[in-house]
Amino acid sequence: MRKYPRWPIHLALVATCFVMLVPFYWVLKTSISGENIFSYPPSIIPRHPNPFYYVDVWYAIPFARFFLNSVIVSVMTVIANVVLNAMAGYSLTQGFRGKTVVLMLFLSCMMIPFQTTIIPAYLITGKLGLLDSYLGLALPMFSTIICIFVFKASFDAIPHSLIDAARIDGLSEWKIIWKVMIPLAKSAMATNVILSFIWSWNNFMWPLIATRSADMQTLPLGLARFLSYQEDSTGALYAFCIMVLAPGILLFLLAQKEFVQGLTSGAAKG
Amino acid sequence: MVVAETATAMRRPHFALRKSTRKAILIWSFLAPSLLIFLLYRILPLGWNVLLSFQAWSPMKPAVFIGLDNYQEMLFDDEVFWQALWNTLGIIASAPIGIAIALGLALLVNSDIRGRDVYRTLIFLSYPLMTVAVAIIWRWMFDERVGLINYVARVLDLVDKPIPFLNSFTWALPSVIAANIWQMLGFYMIIILTGLQNIPGNLYEAAAIDGANAFRRFLRITLPLLRPSLFLCFVIGMLNSVTSFDLVYVMTAGGPGRATEILITYIYKLAFTQTRFDYAAALTVTFFVLLLGVTWTANRLSGGNAGAVGMD
Repeated sequence: MRKYPRWPIHLALVATCFVMLVPFYWVLKTSISGENIFSYPPSIIPRHPNPFYYVDVWYAIPFARFFLNSVIVSVMTVIANVVLNAMAGYSLTQGFRGKTVVLMLFLSCMMIPFQTTIIPAYLITGKLGLLDSYLGLALPMFSTIICIFVFKASFDAIPHSLIDAARIDGLSEWKIIWKVMIPLAKSAMATNVILSFIWSWNNFMWPLIATRSADMQTLPLGLARFLSYQEDSTGALYAFCIMVLAPGILLFLLAQKEFVQGLTSGAAKG
Repeated sequence: MVVAETATAMRRPHFALRKSTRKAILIWSFLAPSLLIFLLYRILPLGWNVLLSFQAWSPMKPAVFIGLDNYQEMLFDDEVFWQALWNTLGIIASAPIGIAIALGLALLVNSDIRGRDVYRTLIFLSYPLMTVAVAIIWRWMFDERVGLINYVARVLDLVDKPIPFLNSFTWALPSVIAANIWQMLGFYMIIILTGLQNIPGNLYEAAAIDGANAFRRFLRITLPLLRPSLFLCFVIGMLNSVTSFDLVYVMTAGGPGRATEILITYIYKLAFTQTRFDYAAALTVTFFVLLLGVTWTANRLSGGNAGAVGMD
């Protein structure tokens, strides 16, 4: 094929990346300088960078408590997702009576966004006595259909000869799962961890509904509450934003491949 | 191997039977926890919503069957419902804008230029971020006095006086949509990119030999073969955007007035600030049917099964 000049492509992409990144830069800048909340015109480079707003966050709100809540709920969600989805994913690779029904059920559940279930979900969680508890916050997200199918695909890719060989060697079904299939499904597991972590970490609507006391609130709720108390009048709000975004960005950059893989293999929010 | 199995089975018939039962127990006990979660938080809520929508009920008083009264109120006496419905449809209709931009970007990062992985990462970076934080950032970008967008517009002499984007009846919804597209863009791009990479390269070579120029190749090969990916983008993007409660709740809380009220925010307010669970359930059922209808239509148009995972 004919060679074509590359610079227009670079130009267009650099411009796009600029648009995508400017909001980050602006927030970072304000979080360390507090400028241009009041001053106009804004300066492009922070004039007096300082960490004071980050310290402010600690005093203005119980940041540690929110952070702890978020971590506990996310860790519960991640562990439950890896274990339950691996189990369900394994079952779907086997032949059994009623498999079609189960598959149909899973696929139709994918069509029910969580947001359209909030009222009964609230009532059900209330009946279980789990409102305002860690378990109640995490339970609806304990298993995600997308991630079940990620595991299923990964188990399906294991060559049958390998499993048959293990069976001939006299390994029980448990041992085969534990010693052969799980080690070969590491990337599915990574995908599960990162997807369920990010969904749980970012979740706003369910904690908003299912928590009552300030003690049980997670970071997104704390952030929204901070906004409603302080308005956008302080650099601390943006310092808070950075502190909340940082773990997600870090995790994403570390496990980008698994994240993208998970999204493209099934692609929908659980 | 078959021989060996048969031999074992013949020698110990009881064992073979027990083994298959044990296998079934194993499989169903593995499925049980996930099934329970989905029954409890997907299937049961769906049924309960429908039931609740035909009732007059609140946590304080017993349920009374009132037929279609909730729906009647929704359709004929509730202007906010119609406003929220139109805004929701507006957000659905805006999804193709994001997809079109993402298609262009996907074509660009699919070329063999240097640093394309860096470009991909940077463009995709906004997708996994916490939407509450994204909403706060964009709230401020759109700010009337100190927002970056107004600043740039004034420097470039595009406007005489700053536009109060989020406080204006005309601009509030487009602003929310813009923030939503900003967040979804990278996701669309990744899905389209996967679709692009699945198109066999020899198709292009054959077309080039036949004398088709780049534009015709795009029109006759790329676009038709990308159709499933584009509809997948639309279905997921549509579902993500209209259920993006946090973005609207934090950016505008549905205001000014009801200018950015969408169905999901209105349902939340009805249920959890006005305690009108029954009426909110009727809206939820309507919302659900709307989503189902749009998804179904998109599926039919795509000629494939967008949004569904391959069964095997």
